Amino acid sequence: MTRAPSSSFPGRRRAARAARAEHHRPALAAYAVLFAAAVALFGIDPVLGAIATVLNVVFLLFFFRHLAFAISAARWAERDLAAPTVGAESFTPTIAVLVACKDEELVVDGMVAALLALDYPHEAMTVVVVDDASTDGTGARLDAWAAASPRLRVLHRAPGAGGGKSGALNDALAMVDADVAVIFDADHQPERSVLRRLVRHFRDPNVGAVMGRCVVRNGVESSLASTIFIDYLSGYLVNEYGRQALFELPAYGGANCAVRTDLLHSLGGWNPHTVTEDTDLTLRVLLGGHRVRYDPTAVDFEEAVLSSRRFWKQRYRWARGHQKCLRDYWRPMLASPHLTLAQKAETMLFLWVYHVPVLCGLGLLLISLRAFGIGGTSGITLLPLSALLFAGPFCELAVGLLLGRVERRAAWMLVGFIPAFGMSILTATAAYLDGMWGRRYSWSKTARSGATSAPAAPVPAAAAPATATVSFARRGVAA
Amino acid sequence: MHRRLDRRLDRTLARAAGRPAPGGTTVRRHLVLLEIAFAVAWCAGGFALLIEWARRFEVALATGVLDAFGLGGQISGVLGDAFLVFGPDGSPVVAEMSASCSALTSVLALSALAVVALRRRAQVVVGLAAACAFVLFANQLRLILSLLAGRYLAVDALVFFHDWVGALLNFAYTLIGLLIMIGLTMHDAQQAEQDRTGRHTANRPDAWARPGLGYRAPVAGAPQGPPVRVAAWLHRNVLPAPVSRWLNARREARRVDYRVGHQTAGRRAAAVRELAGRGLGVHTATLLAVATHETDPIVLDALADAVAARQWEPVSARDVVALRLWARAWLMRAPVRRDLPGGSGRLVAVTGAGGPAGVAVIRALQAAGDHVVALDANPDAVGLRLGGIAVVLPRADAPGYAEALLAAVAEHRPAALVCTVAEEYAALTPLAGRLAELGCRTWLPSPAAAETCLDKAAFAAALHAAGVPHPATVRTAREAALLGGPWVVKPARGRGSRDVVMVDHSADLDHAFAAVPGAIAQPRLTGLEFTADALVGRDGTLLTCVPRWRDETRGGISTRGTTFDSAAVTAVVAATLRAVGHTGPANVQGFVADPERLAADPEAPVRVTVVEVNPRFSGGLPLTLASGADVVGTYVDGILDPAAELPRLTFRPGTRMARYFSEVYYAADGAALPDPLAAAPAVAPQSPAILEEVAP
Repeated sequence: MTRAPSSSFPGRRRAARAARAEHHRPALAAYAVLFAAAVALFGIDPVLGAIATVLNVVFLLFFFRHLAFAISAARWAERDLAAPTVGAESFTPTIAVLVACKDEELVVDGMVAALLALDYPHEAMTVVVVDDASTDGTGARLDAWAAASPRLRVLHRAPGAGGGKSGALNDALAMVDADVAVIFDADHQPERSVLRRLVRHFRDPNVGAVMGRCVVRNGVESSLASTIFIDYLSGYLVNEYGRQALFELPAYGGANCAVRTDLLHSLGGWNPHTVTEDTDLTLRVLLGGHRVRYDPTAVDFEEAVLSSRRFWKQRYRWARGHQKCLRDYWRPMLASPHLTLAQKAETMLFLWVYHVPVLCGLGLLLISLRAFGIGGTSGITLLPLSALLFAGPFCELAVGLLLGRVERRAAWMLVGFIPAFGMSILTATAAYLDGMWGRRYSWSKTARSGATSAPAAPVPAAAAPATATVSFARRGVAA
Repeated sequence: MHRRLDRRLDRTLARAAGRPAPGGTTVRRHLVLLEIAFAVAWCAGGFALLIEWARRFEVALATGVLDAFGLGGQISGVLGDAFLVFGPDGSPVVAEMSASCSALTSVLALSALAVVALRRRAQVVVGLAAACAFVLFANQLRLILSLLAGRYLAVDALVFFHDWVGALLNFAYTLIGLLIMIGLTMHDAQQAEQDRTGRHTANRPDAWARPGLGYRAPVAGAPQGPPVRVAAWLHRNVLPAPVSRWLNARREARRVDYRVGHQTAGRRAAAVRELAGRGLGVHTATLLAVATHETDPIVLDALADAVAARQWEPVSARDVVALRLWARAWLMRAPVRRDLPGGSGRLVAVTGAGGPAGVAVIRALQAAGDHVVALDANPDAVGLRLGGIAVVLPRADAPGYAEALLAAVAEHRPAALVCTVAEEYAALTPLAGRLAELGCRTWLPSPAAAETCLDKAAFAAALHAAGVPHPATVRTAREAALLGGPWVVKPARGRGSRDVVMVDHSADLDHAFAAVPGAIAQPRLTGLEFTADALVGRDGTLLTCVPRWRDETRGGISTRGTTFDSAAVTAVVAATLRAVGHTGPANVQGFVADPERLAADPEAPVRVTVVEVNPRFSGGLPLTLASGADVVGTYVDGILDPAAELPRLTFRPGTRMARYFSEVYYAADGAALPDPLAAAPAVAPQSPAILEEVAP
C-alpha cells in the first residue's frame, strides 16, 4: 500500500504562522486593479460583455457536468440500489465506530440505540462516543448507556480542548485499535446493515475511505426540511453517484463513512484547521494515491435543519470550508501523479462547486446592469444564463426523485429550490468575501430538533428499574 | 498444437499490454458523453431544421386565435413569419417572430431531457406531451399578450412586454413545463415507496426493501391512490381478455411480490416452492429478489432445489440465467445435503457430545424428532455413539479446530449449532459469520459475558458491582486467612468440580493454594446447594428459571435432584444473568441458607448466594426437561429464527430425578454392537384392562 505524505495539511502552515485568521486581501486587491485597468483600456461595456461570456462558458461547463451525472444515475443507479451484496458476512475487519457529540441531548439516545443495534460481529466492533464538553445532559445520558453496554466507550473532553469535530475525532481515534474507523454524527441513525455494506469495499487494498448515503428523516417537520430531503436525494443518488460512476471520485462526507485507520494515522488524523474536515480528508486520501468509494446502499438517516437561519449557518460553514479547500489544494491536486487528466479536470470542477454560486450572483448583477443599458453583449448569446442556472440542478433533482421512488406530489416542491438557489448565492458570496478578507471563523455546531430522534428512545437496560421477577413454577401443579 | 496455441496467446497478450484498453470508468464516461452529444445535436439540429416552420406555425396559430376573438383586423399574420400590428394611432408596425420568440427551443430541450435523463419509463411520453402542450400554450399567451400591448398601448409596450416580461415568462413556463414532465413521470402514491417528506409508505419487508427508500416512521392512513386508475379501467373495460392476461403475465414476471418477504421462514420457503413450481419465467423478479435478499438457509435451499429441478425450462429471460448461476454457486458451496428421513427434518450440530450436557441435549433433540451431528474432541465420547452423524474434531484450543469444524459443517450442513462447552465460545464466535454462510446458525453469548462467567475473579467483581449476593473471593492464602474458614479453594478457571479442595484449617491454605493452579478461595457456604437451569432471550429477557436441589452429586454432576419453586431464587438468578450480560442457556449454582422456609411458602424471602454461572446447558438438564420446561427446543427455535418471540417456559416444582448409568457398545472400528441388557422391543398394550392396572 502506498503511504501518503505525512506533511498533510497544506493550509496548516499558513494558519499556524498567522496567529490571526488567514486572509487573501492582496488577491482581492489584484482582482480590483485588473478590472479597473481593463475598464480603463477597453471601456466598461466590452469588459462586462467579456465577463458575461466567460461566465456563460463556466455555466455551460457545470450544466454539462450536472447533466452527465443525471444521465449516469438514470442509466445505472436503479439497479445498483437493488443489487445483492457479495461476501459481506465473511469480511469483517475490526471497526471502531466514532461519534463526536456536543450538546446533543435531544438526539443522543436514538443514535446510541441505533449504533448498538448495528449488524456486525460484536467482538470486531467498538463504539466510541466523544462528549465534547457538552453543557447539557449529553454526558450523563452517554454514561448511562455505557454502564449498560460494555461495547460502548465514552470519552469526555474538557472544555476548551479545541479542534472542533476534528479534535474530538482525533482524540477518539487515539483510544482505539481497529482496522477501520466509521464516523457518524450525533443526529444520525444508521440502518442495521450499514457497517457490512461500507467495509465490504476495503477488500480492495487501494481503497482508503468509503462514503455511505445520508437520507433526511425529518422531512415531515417543516417545508425546508422536506426540501432538503429532496436535495439530499439528488445529492447522493445522482451527484455523488455520478462522480463515482464517471470519475471514481466520490467525496468522503464526514458522516456515515469509513476510513482505514492506518492511513488516517499516516495522514496525521483529521485536520483541525478546517471546518469541512471531510472534503479536506477526501483530497488528502486522493493525494496519497488511495481511492474513495461510495456505496449508495449503506444508508443512514439524519436530521435536516428546520429554519432558514440554521440553514444559512450550515451552508455558510460548508461554503467557507470548501472554498478554503480549493485555495489549499488546487495546486497539489493538479500536480498529483495519481490522477488522470479527466480526474484532475473533475477535481477542479468539484473544488469550484462553492464558487459557482458566487459567479451566479455576478451573472445576475450583469443582467441587472444590462437592463439599465450597461454592459455589452455576451459572446454566447444563444444560451440564456438563467436557464442554465436551473436546468442542470433540476435534471439532478428530477432523477433523484425518480430513483428515490418518491410520490408524485413532491414534484411541486421543486419550486422551493428557486429561493434555495437564491439563498445559496448569498451564503456562498458571504463565505467567499469573509474567507478572502480573513474574517475569523471557527466550528459552528448545527442545532438539532430531536423530534424524529428515535422510533422510541429506548432506556438503557441497566438504567431501567429491575422488573419484579416472578417464579416460573406452575403453582399448585407440583409433581 | 498446444505450443502453437500458447505462442498465439502470448502474442495476443503482448499486443494487449502495449495498447492500454480503456477501463470501465472511461467506457461509462464515453457513453455519457455520447448521450450528451446526441442531446446537443438533437437540440441544435432540430432548431436548424424546424425553426422556420415553427415560426410560421406559431404565427399562424396566434393569428388564428386572434381571428377567433375578432381581432384579426388589427393584427395580421399575412407576412407568414411576422405580425403586422396596427398600433393605437393606426400606424402599421411589423413585429418579427424571431427564433427566440418560438417555443421550439423549450420543446427541443424538454424532449432531449426526457430521452437522456428520464428515459425508459412509459409515463415519460405522457409527461413530455403534456409539457410540450403547456409550453406551446404559454408561448402563444405570451405572443398574444405582447401583440395586444402593441395594438392597444404602444409599440414600445410590445417590445418591453415581449423582451423583458416575456423573457421572464419564457423562463417560468419552461420551468413549469419541466415540472409537469417530471411530475407525470414520477410514481403515483400507490407505486411510490416514500412520501414527499421521506417517510416509507410501501410497506416493504425490512430485508427486501431497497436501502434508504423512506424512513420507517408511522404514517397515518394508507396512501391515497388516484380516484380513477386508468390502467385498471382499461384492463376491465377496453382490452380483450386474452390481451389483458398476456400483459398481466408480462408484468408479473417483472414485479417483486413483496408480500412473501413478510412471512416466516417456513412460509417463505413454501411460497418460493409454489412460485417456482409455476415456472421460473413466471415470477422471475420475485424469485430473484429471494436470491438477492434472503439470508435464511431453509428458504435458499428451497429456491436452489426448485431452480435445479427446472433446468429443462427454456431460458425465457436473462434473469432466469441469473437465478441458475446463483443456484449453481449455492449448491456447489454446499454440495452434500442429506435428505433426512422422518422427524422434523432438521439437522442440529451439538458440540461437547461426550459431556453430560452434550448427551442430554442430543437425547432431547432426538426425542423431539431432530437429527444430530455429534461433535467432540474425544473419539470415545459417548455422544458420538448415540445415533446420527458423529465427527471427531481437534480441541477448541488446538490448531486446525476452525478448519475441521467448517469442513464438518460444509459436509453435513446442519441448520443450527448448539455449543455445550463454554470454553469453545471463544473459538466459535469468530466463526459465526462463516458458519452462517454455510447455512449453520448459532446463538452465542457475547464474548465478554462468557469470559466473565469463566473467570471466577471477574465474575465475583461483576456480581459485586451489581449487588448480587456472592461469597467473598480472594486470590492469596493470606487474604483467605483473614476471611475466616472453612474455605473452598478452586481454580479461577475450571470446569465441574476439578481441582476443588475443601480446607478446614488455615494451616492447610498454603498447601491448597500451591496445589490448585491459579487458585482463588471463598468461604464455604452453609445451607442447601441448588442449580437453576435458565434461558435468557436475545434481548436479555429471562425466559425460564428452573431451580433444583442437588440432592446427590457425583463428580460435580447431579445424580439425584428435585425441582423447587422460589421467587427469591428466581430473582437472584435473573439479577446474576443480567449482571454478566448473558443470553442463551445457562445454569446458575448457589446456596439457599434457610431452605426449610420454602417448603411452606415459595414466596419466602430466603437468603440466596450465587457461587457460579456456567454459560451453557447443565448436566442435570434432563430434570429440567422432565419438569416441563423445553429449554433445548426453545433455544434451537431461537437459533433458527433470531427474530422469533420465544415463549416463557414454566415447570412443575417437586419433579424428582434419580439417575443411573447406561452403556453403549462399539467395536474397534467404531461399528455399533448390540446391547446385551436391552429389553426386547416393547409390546404395545393389548387391552385397556392392563392399562388401567399400570396407571394408578
